[in-house]
Amino acid sequence: MSDYILLVVSCIFVNNILLMQYLGNCPFLGVSKRMETATGMAMAVVFVLVLAGAITWIVDHYLLKQFGFEYLRTLAFILVIASLVQFVELFLRKSIPALYAGLGIFLPLITTNCAVMGVCLINIKEEYTFIQALITSFSYAVGFGLALILFAGVRERILLARVPKPLQDTSIGLVGAGMMSLAFFAFKGMV
Amino acid sequence: MAKTVVQEFTKGLWAEIPPFRLVLGLCPVLAVTKTVENGVGMGIATTFVLVCSNVLISLLRSTIPKQVRIACFIVVIATFVTVVELVMQAFAYPLFLKLGIFIPLIVVNCIVLGRAEAFAAKNGVVASFADGLGIGIGFTLSLTALAIFREILGSGTFTIPISSVSIPVFGPGFEPFTFMVEAPGAFVCLGLMLCIMNMLGKK
Amino acid sequence: MREMIRLFVVVLLFSCVSGGLLAVVRSGTQERIEYQQLKFVKGPTIKQIMEGCSNDPLIDRFKIIDGDKERSFFVGVFDGKRNVVAFESFGKGFGGKIGVIVAVNLENDTIVGIGVTTHSETPGLGSRAKSEPDLSSQFTGLSINEPFKVTADDGKIDSISGATITSRGVCGAVVVSAGIYARLKTKIMEKVKA
Repeated sequence: MSDYILLVVSCIFVNNILLMQYLGNCPFLGVSKRMETATGMAMAVVFVLVLAGAITWIVDHYLLKQFGFEYLRTLAFILVIASLVQFVELFLRKSIPALYAGLGIFLPLITTNCAVMGVCLINIKEEYTFIQALITSFSYAVGFGLALILFAGVRERILLARVPKPLQDTSIGLVGAGMMSLAFFAFKGMV
Repeated sequence: MAKTVVQEFTKGLWAEIPPFRLVLGLCPVLAVTKTVENGVGMGIATTFVLVCSNVLISLLRSTIPKQVRIACFIVVIATFVTVVELVMQAFAYPLFLKLGIFIPLIVVNCIVLGRAEAFAAKNGVVASFADGLGIGIGFTLSLTALAIFREILGSGTFTIPISSVSIPVFGPGFEPFTFMVEAPGAFVCLGLMLCIMNMLGKK
Repeated sequence: MREMIRLFVVVLLFSCVSGGLLAVVRSGTQERIEYQQLKFVKGPTIKQIMEGCSNDPLIDRFKIIDGDKERSFFVGVFDGKRNVVAFESFGKGFGGKIGVIVAVNLENDTIVGIGVTTHSETPGLGSRAKSEPDLSSQFTGLSINEPFKVTADDGKIDSISGATITSRGVCGAVVVSAGIYARLKTKIMEKVKA
């Protein structure tokens, strides 16, 4: 049990997917300008990443490894993720319109979110079991959401500050992300 | 819209140089620029995928049905990424180890899919080739510039691509500014470079 | 509906062509890739810890299935006898997994040498576990079954200054390999003799 708790802590804080592993930075900078969009994106990522983590693990272990097709992993994973996102979008629109209204516009962006693909690949590379893969997928997604929402808060404050012209927008955003990354750096070596 | 092939090529080098003008595909930029060698390697791999996928997608642009074009683009891109993965393992294994999961992640690099959707799907083969090559080389240049900056300050060395020889830049008394090669330094460096690019302005 | 099927067939066709193409590239590069993996990852370390052996451990190797994993073992010939095997195991370091190769003498279960293969430790601190022999040389000559720990954990391995976690990871990897060795020793002996 304590192993699992360690795994959760390490995925959320120590190896935070955004600030430590540098994955998923495009949506990080793209949707963090407003708190609402950041929260929506964070929820959508948690939802898709847990599903994607589980399905790619099954595909890898029962299809690719079984028949020696490991070299097709990149192709298989991206197809799984792309079709999963499509499917989730259709399903939500038909059955849970309320949730779709909140997450819908973020779903297409997730296909090219490297955090999703990245976590699926990390799960395989680290040779996690199915349960561990589920836990890491969920925790990485939570870590992504946490960093994104915290960062949206920082950016909303930056909007009120007077920033020199060339530094505005993405530039100051990146420097701010660097400062947050520095804060998360303190967790290193904790687990 | 009647730009010459040369213009399609050169726009990637300055006017639309990724990731500064075209703020896309930041993850590899941040992750692999610890050493110059990694940066250049990643740039070349991405350029290869960009050029090949742009050309093929441009060739097939009338055959691909509109509704499933993204899926087809992804299959094309993933194929070339896997080719890069296999060739790199066979001929540049140490580099492959250093770049790790960022090689398969070229698939989800928004620059590649972005160029396929925004350019190759609408333009001819020659123009798409020039566009892919220009953007690819621009991307490689940006990666190299950032990597030179980070490596020299962060580890005090300069790794020559391909030969993997690290040359110490400063004397033996140099204490590396480790911040630069770690994650926080990557963000701050890129932010400041973006600021400098903004100051220089579009030509 | 027919439209849907047509679209599906197009994507399927694309995937099949791509799969076929990749299979060709794969079969063309497979052998080279396996050789490169050995040469660059484990090769230099194995050569270093098995210094003085009269064969090439990279060629003289075999695989044993351990649970759901397949492990590679490399045989070293010393004094004309096939009496040393080396294999890899992993410990948890500061920046991720640390790969350690341990070479064990089959006659008296002592460690012939250990070496770090892969790591992602901090340059200049943890990375010294690989580049400098201070840490790894302490293991040479000891029994594989000792409970290896760093001095900070009341053990007897002096850790690299500034890199206790890395040193702990290396000790952990050696303890893991002791487990593998105990579990597979009979199978190893069979293979080495064969």
